[in-house]
Amino acid sequence: MEFTALFLAITVVLLAAWLGARTLALALFAVTLVACVATYLHHASDVLKLSF
Amino acid sequence: MTRSLAVALNALGLYAVAFVLAAAFAAQLLLGELPCPLCLLQRIQFALLAIGPILNVRFGARPSHYAASLLVAAAGAAFAMRQILLHIMPGDPGYGSALLGYHYYTWAFIGFAVAIVATAVMLLFDRQFEDDGGTPPDAAGTFARTAVWLVIGLTAANVISTLLECGLAACPADPVAYELLKGMR
Repeated sequence: MEFTALFLAITVVLLAAWLGARTLALALFAVTLVACVATYLHHASDVLKLSF
Repeated sequence: MTRSLAVALNALGLYAVAFVLAAAFAAQLLLGELPCPLCLLQRIQFALLAIGPILNVRFGARPSHYAASLLVAAAGAAFAMRQILLHIMPGDPGYGSALLGYHYYTWAFIGFAVAIVATAVMLLFDRQFEDDGGTPPDAAGTFARTAVWLVIGLTAANVISTLLECGLAACPADPVAYELLKGMR
């Protein structure tokens, strides 16, 4: 569900960049990028098995 | 580099993003390979990569627009690198099938690395940032307008595709079927 929301948010960001005000687009972009990183940190909970 | 050449190169960058999104769709629809959560996150970063070029086409080239894309590409590369590391142990078959010897997440890492280098190269040319009194950026040609709408259309298509794949709950770690369609049966 969160990935659907992120794709929807990016569609809105890109539409704002193309049709809306520059400041609004950059503000929405910043919020979306933070949401992406937060989603990554939420999912990246598996331990990396890197010891050979 | 003139302002109009910079806009044309940014439009080319948008076509490259559209190509990646279309290729991911092709793998999903033609080969039946449903993207995992981490794969979706990388696809999301590719779509968000378009923010810089779209702003450059619309408002003219500015360093801040390139910086936005650089941040996205760095995040995307980090996400792809994590997935590479998850499957780096000897004997691990990796996630999904390989294309030309590399898994999709490895290609994604290469794609984000190329985006970082290409954006840095674009930032080297200062003349694109000067207002030369030429064509207003808002008057983007058909080539650039088509690229913008192509990326926006493919991103919107991903909203539907992801809703079908994950449904209204958390996306499965190893998806094998479209959850929303299963719920309708």
